[in-house]
Amino acid sequence: MHAEDERLLEAFRRGEESAFTALVIKYREAVYRLARRMLGNHEDAADATQEVFIRAYRALARFDGRSKLSTWLYRVTVNLCLDVRARMARAPLAADDEVATEGASGSDLEDEAAARETGRLVRRAIAALPPRQRAMVTLRLYHDLPYQEIARIMGCSEGTVKATMFAALRKLRQALDAHGVRV
Amino acid sequence: MSLSCREALERATELVTGTLPPDARAPVLAHLAACAACRDEVAALEATAALLRRHAPTAPPGFWPAFMRQLDRRLARERLPAGVRLRRGLGAVRHAWVAAAAVAAAVAGLWAVMRPGPPPSDPDLARVRILVTEAMTTALPALDETLDLWRVGLTEPDVVFTRGGR
Repeated sequence: MHAEDERLLEAFRRGEESAFTALVIKYREAVYRLARRMLGNHEDAADATQEVFIRAYRALARFDGRSKLSTWLYRVTVNLCLDVRARMARAPLAADDEVATEGASGSDLEDEAAARETGRLVRRAIAALPPRQRAMVTLRLYHDLPYQEIARIMGCSEGTVKATMFAALRKLRQALDAHGVRV
Repeated sequence: MSLSCREALERATELVTGTLPPDARAPVLAHLAACAACRDEVAALEATAALLRRHAPTAPPGFWPAFMRQLDRRLARERLPAGVRLRRGLGAVRHAWVAAAAVAAAVAGLWAVMRPGPPPSDPDLARVRILVTEAMTTALPALDETLDLWRVGLTEPDVVFTRGGR
């Protein structure tokens, strides 16, 4: 486990509540980003992020440290989001309304509009992936996790993650191609 | 060792997402240099990955302070002493207990009415009435009447029953 996480975890176990706050601040963005990509909208992602940290608060005292804290938090997030998606069952995952993307920072209005449209198509293409593929793509591309760690989070083999990633990237490329996004 | 197209594409995802170990890169790159089809495929995958990375989701401005306040409120509930949480938990099911107690009292009353033998004495009835709370009679309006019946007894054939006694 990461040394800083270990120190914070120890402090939390001793009863220092501020240590838990520090852990939340450290991981909230990453947890939110994963939940947002898996659930497709800000509101559900915000609720899921809250729930992940509430569960962490209850369970951290018993966390044995065999895996990295981040791996454990991502696993909680993925499982929670899969549950939420299963409850939403047949409701299609709509491409959400996020507007602030790194690609939309150009000063030229036309470029900005084009970047926003591309962002919308990217979100729609990701939303069309099956939930587990969406999780793997997010963990690799946005969280930069190695395949081995993604496999631990998803509870499958490294080979499965690689094969799934390949299939997902191909699918995304085809979906973006179909909408005229040059990749 | 030269790779087949299939082997090269199997490693393509690792190559384009930056996880292919350096010693495994050379054979893949050698294959791509010689195979235009695989080169195009890998280039497209690489561009797709780059595009996706550029469009990472971000929380709306001002979201995190509100998030932390809400989380603090929820954590404050988690931090309550166990005794307080237990009492609150029991409070939530209080109405269920009242209903269950009312039903139990009704069953006891009916049993007393139906059982053979003489009617109860007034002290017996007083002891039972102490156990009947207002909440019980609200949940089970016929409870008073059941106790009256118990007092009167079913064996007296000509009793005219009115609420509150004869």
